[in-house]
Amino acid sequence: MAKSDQPKQHRYIPQLVQQLEQRKIDRRAFLRNVTLLGMSSAAAYGLAGRILGENLVDPALAQEGTPKMGGILKVAMDIQKMEDPATYSWTQMSNQTRHVAEYLTITGPDNLTRPLLAESWEASDDLKTWTFKLRQGVLWHNGEELTAEHVVWNIERWLDPALASSNASLSTCSAMVEGTDQKTMIKGAVEAVDKHTVRFNLSKPVLSVPEDLYNYPAAILHPSFKPPFSDNPMGTGPYTLTEMVVGDKCILKRVTETTDGKPFKYWGGDVYLDEIHYYNFDTDNQLTAFASGEVDTIYQFSIEQYELAAGLEGEIQEIQTAQTACFRMHVAKPPFDNLKVRQAIAKAVDLTVFNDLVFQGRGQTGENHHVAPVHPEYFALPPLARDVEAAKALLTEAGHADGLEITIDIGNTDGPWHQTAAEIMRDQLQEAGIKLNINVIPASKYWEIWTETPFGATAWTHRALGTMVLSLAYRTGVAWNETGYSNPEFEKALDAAEAVLDVEQRKAKMELVEKILQDDAIMLLPLWRPVFTIVSPKVKGHQIHPTQYHQWTKVWLEEA
Amino acid sequence: MLGLILRRLVQMALIMVVASFILFVIFDTPAFKKKIAIAELGGFAVSALSEEDYQNWLEQKGLNVPFFQRYANWIGNITTGDFGKSFEKNTAVGPLLLDRLKNTGILAFWVFALMIPISLVLGVLAGMKEGSAQDRTISFISVFTTSIPEIATAIILTVIFALGLGWLPAKSAMTQGFDWRQLVLPVLTLVTYDFGYVARMTRASMAEVMTSQYIRTAVLKGIPYRQVIMKHALRNALIAPFTVIVLQLNWLLSGVVVVEVFFQYDGFGKLLLEAALFGDVYVVQAATLVAVIVAVLSQIISDIGYTLLNPRIRFS
Repeated sequence: MAKSDQPKQHRYIPQLVQQLEQRKIDRRAFLRNVTLLGMSSAAAYGLAGRILGENLVDPALAQEGTPKMGGILKVAMDIQKMEDPATYSWTQMSNQTRHVAEYLTITGPDNLTRPLLAESWEASDDLKTWTFKLRQGVLWHNGEELTAEHVVWNIERWLDPALASSNASLSTCSAMVEGTDQKTMIKGAVEAVDKHTVRFNLSKPVLSVPEDLYNYPAAILHPSFKPPFSDNPMGTGPYTLTEMVVGDKCILKRVTETTDGKPFKYWGGDVYLDEIHYYNFDTDNQLTAFASGEVDTIYQFSIEQYELAAGLEGEIQEIQTAQTACFRMHVAKPPFDNLKVRQAIAKAVDLTVFNDLVFQGRGQTGENHHVAPVHPEYFALPPLARDVEAAKALLTEAGHADGLEITIDIGNTDGPWHQTAAEIMRDQLQEAGIKLNINVIPASKYWEIWTETPFGATAWTHRALGTMVLSLAYRTGVAWNETGYSNPEFEKALDAAEAVLDVEQRKAKMELVEKILQDDAIMLLPLWRPVFTIVSPKVKGHQIHPTQYHQWTKVWLEEA
Repeated sequence: MLGLILRRLVQMALIMVVASFILFVIFDTPAFKKKIAIAELGGFAVSALSEEDYQNWLEQKGLNVPFFQRYANWIGNITTGDFGKSFEKNTAVGPLLLDRLKNTGILAFWVFALMIPISLVLGVLAGMKEGSAQDRTISFISVFTTSIPEIATAIILTVIFALGLGWLPAKSAMTQGFDWRQLVLPVLTLVTYDFGYVARMTRASMAEVMTSQYIRTAVLKGIPYRQVIMKHALRNALIAPFTVIVLQLNWLLSGVVVVEVFFQYDGFGKLLLEAALFGDVYVVQAATLVAVIVAVLSQIISDIGYTLLNPRIRFS
């Protein structure tokens, strides 16, 4: 299902076309699946448009007016160290790198994953063999051409335990390792078939390979790379780093010639901005920097600042995401080792109030399982009802007839709203005879204990597919399993869902996955939060991304 | 006097050794090393590391060197002007610190340039006629402005002059190089907070001097009032405020974190806060040494100034 030359199509694509024709799936599900199976997004939008009789244009190609060349886009964001892109721990770091070093794929604001350095991909029917065809003529800043060997070097590097790249935890990478510690790469798990073809031979079916390859530490680097990236900023992107001071500024300039002085032509066509200037402002101060006219856009503003933002001259951009705080209980630590206690806590909390009270109704209500309505395979379970009497009964059965006192660790790792949500829970739990103490600690301290604390609130970022975070966080023994959860029935159900391409069938399979998580009551997941930014009217072509990734190769300035 | 200065300098060296040693002990604990790892790699990545991988990471960063050796190396390097490398900012600590000190120096200069004349004039005017309407008005304003925390003053000034009237920039990050307009709000905030304190001290000192016998005698002798104030009262009345003003140097160096962070002004206080939150041990160490030097030097200046203003005072 290569897109440019359309050599062959995945056998499932005609079925998807039929399902869309019969309106059995919606446009979004269709687009997601055909692009996942390798059809180009432009072709997918065109095909969906023809079937539905609408004029659909791929947002990635849609243009706002006639772009003007030139100008400097100024952005307020935390400027962080750029050591090694494969070990980045913050989205901001990746944004500083994103226009210099590129990815094999790109997930857009519409949550669809498209080819980037890869031109197309093919998945085998069992989803264990994935073949990526690389775009030809992609140049590194030193004038060399990007090859499959370069890509293989990167992937092998991510799997080196000594590097400590969080990419190793991706479903794709975890299907490439073996051994007792699951850290030894399976020989031939990734191979360069020819100069422009990379093949993944996975030990189990993985649905999310294209999405995984846009994980923020998955930027493709040149094999000559030596950290820090800020000293060796070589990539295939249209910009290079010309000045970088942590906590101050990060200046990107368009590449016009290679490091050996020859003309550099970016493979992706015209790029409009001459320069992108990131200036250091922490989250609390970014909006006021925008208000002063110091910057054209910002990384984000918080819900508390919404009113101020609404009064400014600029376009507020807002998007629903799968970003959340998981108020999770550790199933091996008392009193949460008792299922009835966990269920009592879940029963005593009314999830419907959080979105209004904490996010002014701008987010989406959670359902105590880690799949969001924005995920394609989200299955809407019946709404959870608060039942204080049932909670009390469960507590009595658990041997806490006289009430229960518990403590939650709050690190506010995604802002003070974690604490606000915990305070709402405290008030609600009180009515069921549960006294909740809130232990507020610094964010850095929370990250020291996040997998160990009996009860804590952990921020989880947006991922394009619902199955991705479930594999990362709720399978037995995985590094990020912060709940100590281990349920073979759940894993079997998740395996079944992850092996299905048909979104409707996968949705049906997710019903059981979500239900098991809900019944086991390992978390309170009160809401899915939106993200906000603001953009000056002179900036055109800017779209907010649910993971706050900056994708600005087609952004331009009206007053360039 | 020379003996006094020498004694103070020896004290300073001792304080620096003790302070740096204590900080090194604190930052050498496994908890702090973990904190640096989390700050660098992120909580998610660190929890995926095996013990062996973690030890390798410590070795890469030079954090698994035994404590005394690391401390000795650090002291040795300082004597050659090398303050180490910042973990967070990936740059040499010496130049980083110098740059931030320069910025705080610019801020402090303008705060002093405005605050000293305003507070002394107001303090003297209030103290000259204790209990008068003039005194009460000045005292009220002084107490009022000083009792508002800097963060509140900063917000009020920003809302009025930056967001409301649009006369001044709301932030002082100097993204396009030095811009005096961006310095106005932080300077105003600090002056507003601080002048009242010094003015109150000056007023109290002035009021006390004005009730002394020699001033009364001078007035009764018929010396013009202006001359009594300028020639006889002022010099004695300035001794106490002088000490207070010199001690404001310490406050301006590390006590203005709130203002620097609020306005995103890249000064010494902001650097210290960022380093402390990150666990950036070499930056915290170097900043502490500078803070000690400034504290002791300001004390020496204050002592010397004391003896010059009042020859009766002798330190032995």
